[in-house]
Amino acid sequence: MTQTILFSGIDEPGLNTIDVYRRRGGYESLRRVLTQMTPEQVTDELIASGLRGRGGAGFPSGKKISFIPKVNVDKYLVCNADESEPGTFKDRELMQKSPHMLIEGIVIGAFAAGANRSFIYIRGEYVEQADIIDAAILEAQDAGFLGEDILGSGFDLSLVLHRGAGAYICGEETGLLDSLEGKRGNPRLKPPFPANQGLYQGPTVINNVETLATMPHIIRMGGAEYAKIGTESSTGTKLVSVSGNVRRPGNYEIELGVSSREIIYGLAGGPPPGRDVKFWFPGGSSSPVLTKDDLDLAYDFNTLAQAKSMLGSGAIIVVDDSNAVVDVALKLAKFYKHESCGKCTPCREGTRWTVSMLERVDSGLATPMDLDIMASVQEQIMGNCLCVLGDAMAMPVASMITKFRDEFEGHIEAARARNPWGPGAVAGGDADPVLIQGAVGA
Amino acid sequence: MPRPNPDTIAFTIDGLEVNAPAGMMLADAAKLGDVEIPVFCYEPKLGAPVGACRMCLVEIEGIPKLQTACSTPVRDGMAVTTQTARVKEAQEAVLEFLLINHPLDCPVCDKGGECPLQDITFGWGPGRSRFIEPKRHFVKPLALSPLIAIDRERCILCYRCVRFSQEISEDYQLVLQERGAESFVSTFDGHPYVAPFSGNIVELCPVGALTSQPYRFRARPWDIEGSGSVCLGCPTQCNVEYTVRDERVLRVLSRQHDGVDDGWLCDRGRFGYQSFHADQRVTHPLMRVDGELVPVGWERALDEAAAALMAAGAQTGAIAGGTTTNEEGWLLQELMRGGLSSPNLDSRQGGMLPRALHAALHAPSLQATVPDLEFAHAVLVIDCEPVDDAPILDLRIRKGVRRNGVQLAIASSRPSSLDANAQVVARYAPGAGEAFCVALNAALAESDAGPGSAGRHGIVEELADAAGADAAEIRTLAELLRGDGDVRDVVILYAERLTQGMRGEHAARALLNVAGRVIPADYDGAGLLEVPAGTNGRGLREVGVLPNAGPGLEPSTLIGLDTAAIGASAAAGAIRALYLLHVDPLRDLPARRTWRGALRRADAVIAHADFLSEGLWEHATIVFPAESHAEKEGTITHPDGRVQRLRPAIARPDAVRAEWNVLADLSARLDHDPQVLSGPMASARLFEAVPFYAGLTLDELGGRGVRWPARPGAASWPAADMGPFGLEVPPHAPTPNGSLRLGTFRSIWAAHEVEIAPALKFLRHAQRAELHPSDAERLGIAHGGRVTVGAHGSQISATAVLRSSVPEGSVFVEQGIAEDSAAELDDGGLVEVTPQ
Repeated sequence: MTQTILFSGIDEPGLNTIDVYRRRGGYESLRRVLTQMTPEQVTDELIASGLRGRGGAGFPSGKKISFIPKVNVDKYLVCNADESEPGTFKDRELMQKSPHMLIEGIVIGAFAAGANRSFIYIRGEYVEQADIIDAAILEAQDAGFLGEDILGSGFDLSLVLHRGAGAYICGEETGLLDSLEGKRGNPRLKPPFPANQGLYQGPTVINNVETLATMPHIIRMGGAEYAKIGTESSTGTKLVSVSGNVRRPGNYEIELGVSSREIIYGLAGGPPPGRDVKFWFPGGSSSPVLTKDDLDLAYDFNTLAQAKSMLGSGAIIVVDDSNAVVDVALKLAKFYKHESCGKCTPCREGTRWTVSMLERVDSGLATPMDLDIMASVQEQIMGNCLCVLGDAMAMPVASMITKFRDEFEGHIEAARARNPWGPGAVAGGDADPVLIQGAVGA
Repeated sequence: MPRPNPDTIAFTIDGLEVNAPAGMMLADAAKLGDVEIPVFCYEPKLGAPVGACRMCLVEIEGIPKLQTACSTPVRDGMAVTTQTARVKEAQEAVLEFLLINHPLDCPVCDKGGECPLQDITFGWGPGRSRFIEPKRHFVKPLALSPLIAIDRERCILCYRCVRFSQEISEDYQLVLQERGAESFVSTFDGHPYVAPFSGNIVELCPVGALTSQPYRFRARPWDIEGSGSVCLGCPTQCNVEYTVRDERVLRVLSRQHDGVDDGWLCDRGRFGYQSFHADQRVTHPLMRVDGELVPVGWERALDEAAAALMAAGAQTGAIAGGTTTNEEGWLLQELMRGGLSSPNLDSRQGGMLPRALHAALHAPSLQATVPDLEFAHAVLVIDCEPVDDAPILDLRIRKGVRRNGVQLAIASSRPSSLDANAQVVARYAPGAGEAFCVALNAALAESDAGPGSAGRHGIVEELADAAGADAAEIRTLAELLRGDGDVRDVVILYAERLTQGMRGEHAARALLNVAGRVIPADYDGAGLLEVPAGTNGRGLREVGVLPNAGPGLEPSTLIGLDTAAIGASAAAGAIRALYLLHVDPLRDLPARRTWRGALRRADAVIAHADFLSEGLWEHATIVFPAESHAEKEGTITHPDGRVQRLRPAIARPDAVRAEWNVLADLSARLDHDPQVLSGPMASARLFEAVPFYAGLTLDELGGRGVRWPARPGAASWPAADMGPFGLEVPPHAPTPNGSLRLGTFRSIWAAHEVEIAPALKFLRHAQRAELHPSDAERLGIAHGGRVTVGAHGSQISATAVLRSSVPEGSVFVEQGIAEDSAAELDDGGLVEVTPQ
């Protein structure tokens, strides 16, 4: 809040065109990189900046680039613009309003990694943003910032925008690569990591939109200067998407380390009058929930990890006391069940089972013992899957059961009291509750 | 690509220190320490692991999360534990998850009793489930193909079948549709999964989701016995296990042998067993009485046969088909040479090769093995379509290209299914294999000598033109074989048809010249590998079923007639009796017209057969019932020199006798008793008679066979003429000039078991004429239209198939099918193709 970097002047009309972007100093970092710096120096600046991946995992970005083997094979840079995590919409605004910032970041990142081919994998729903980026790519090519021998440096880079077809799993980096290669978007076994064998088996850097868009600023400011912003382990600023029961939902750029209360109440205005925060997702729908007692936690990678949650993609979803926790859990579980690719067992079966159990909880056909089973199923999913999709459901659901056990039990009791013969009886059907409990039929 | 030769490292598993090759996956390495790690999706045969089922999670010291043992290579000093509470918990969790959507219908499931899911659940499962919700449902069972039923509810989505289709057989048909728990295995468009190797997915399936239609509900694991033998369906001689219930074969499984089949089977080999028990099978000796074949007793049949052979004496001709064992072949030549003083016997389809050339083509110093195909730098396939001629080698070649970067070159007349995997594809006119080899030899000579060398300028162009090939393609091929000058492992795989026919001898010399230029002598990992026309083609030659060589390729005192000459002589009346061991000339040999005359004219036609195909039905005078593949005892020799043992899996039905017994009995009646009283005795006599088999015993052969070229006895291999040879200018391939060049091929499905086995009947097909669309347009032929293919008064009907990959000016028709076989026409000539 003291300083905006990515969102500085973001609302300037016409910023999506190359002329306005350049007038505001755009592509100067790129010029400096290509004319005055070596790839190693760029990587060193990124490492010095302490920038951590903004997509969710928070892996140090400079280090990721330094993992790319220095061998003479085709290397790739892929920008993950799938932004499919529920609650996350920061990249959308960045791409829509300042596409050239992303393109500049991609060229800088590709130069550091030695990649000559780059791709933006954008989610299919971002139709408008995709059109804007396509137009920006053409502008950048015409201006000589993409293509062959960029700015006379001898560095070549092609950039292709690829539209996804609407699968959450294609935001997982290896699923994204398979999808980009034209295959079914299933996550791959790691190792080999994409840095060694990624797209078309070549060394590949995969970064989030926000991460790449930050790179020109790091070059402009210098890595050491950037590292002064934020906290020691979470440097810089972060875009947070605040949604849910707040009065001013939207994207905000914050300095990492500010208090969460300041974001939720200060920037987003807190819940509507008369209501109180019940719990909140600090980093997208896959982060374990925190309660109102945690509102004074500093919003940075380490503090949230210590609180057994995570900063994730920086999407804060606020749920106030007008909502039932079971509703949120069920909605969430259904989403992950729907999006599970089906490749590995715990996620495929665990998400489906969890949804079935939550439906029983919701309709009063469960007992408190089922909550124990449900909690144990989440334990069985966590850490045992091929990728993190299974954990993405298990972590928040497990945290809700732990933190709101009483409410779950109360929900079961209330539903049963409302409707002692099960949901079928309400609908006027002749479903026999015993039959449903006996698990016969689909 | 040299074979991997990893270092041995030491790691600990459950506290026990174990040595293992570095890089081996933990799931396999654990077995070396007698620790079993349960797996579902992991199958080393399928290539890289996918880590999908999560069953094999183990704890590795220093790594916080549990790791999948199937995808973690062992490293020196690694400490692995598989028995901790954490691992146990994860294993129980995965099994609980797997079973929640599994119907648990084990009592009615074919897999029950031999099911990995059952076994692993008993071994590692939690024992109870907490799942009380409704299970996922699918329509079931569905026919994935006429051979395979799919029960999607039982499927645990291990990806094995999909990976087989995508990465092993590369037919790219099976995919997973939908997502999450609703995923299911299917073909993309719902078409039946029909492919030459589809049956392997049944064996790969770790649950009862994919079951064999012919085996469904026929037996339970406690009803059956397994009996190992070798498939006689084609020259690849895959090792199989027959599943036997009450003296009937109910199923064929692979008996993995990496030196032979890599653990796969083709569908013909897997499902053809039904023909063993077909009603039409000949199970009694038959004799022609008043024009009809009627069952007779053995004594009468043998007496009559002996009398007929005695009467014909040296004017007897004998032909052995490919499924004849070494013992039977040896006894046949004893009968012919010893009993009848007739040298007129052959096991090749025509064209005699000098002994020294036989010796050269199969010299132990120049012999490639099947695994060499997988690890060579370059593989050249000449005049051979592996998927038809030796199906399992097709998979081996694909594996080499996919996993080891083998550079593949295809030289053939007809487009090959391996073209897409090849770096160089060269086409030549049908029948111009010799000219092609001569041209390739010239191109190699040119590159040896460098530009401006002594070789006559333009010679490659001239020879390429004679072969109907492109000189540039041949030069590219020569470069590929040469590589960048280093010694390269080059394997040349060729089909026997290259060295058959009138000019086979010249083709063999040209091939040996090429081999001499690119394959260093006595160099492991490189060499020639022949795909014989018949299953035991190599063995039959080695035991002396040749007109010009006795057992062990020893010189024969009398030079007899080869197959084509026997046919011609019989048609002319000079051969009076024909002895047909597992062969019907009208069905299996070219020149049908000649053979029809020969069979008609011969005084006696004595045959060993399990089925009465056209020629035998109409012309045989005496038929001895032949054993089915599963009843046979003896040995056969693999194309790479591996002597393999056949073991009877079931009893012979009705009056069927062992054929070694019939041959020995007949020989004795002709006053030449070979002194063979049992199957093993026949083998022992054979091993004595063939110098390079000396010292072999059935015990040594065991279940895996022995490659004799790798034994000391190989020193007794006869002297070979390795060349280099001065080559003749080959005849120019005929110029189409409005007609089309005739090429023939024999598809994997052209076999009598496909016509007889109910499960395979759907794969029978009528004659098809493959030609290029531009030729078709010129001739007014439409795709799918009926055409007549003919020349010199003989003709066949066919359905036109337009393929743009067929070279212009050629038409390809199929041999070995029941009706309208290409054998009616002369190979390599010109034919007219006209719409009907």
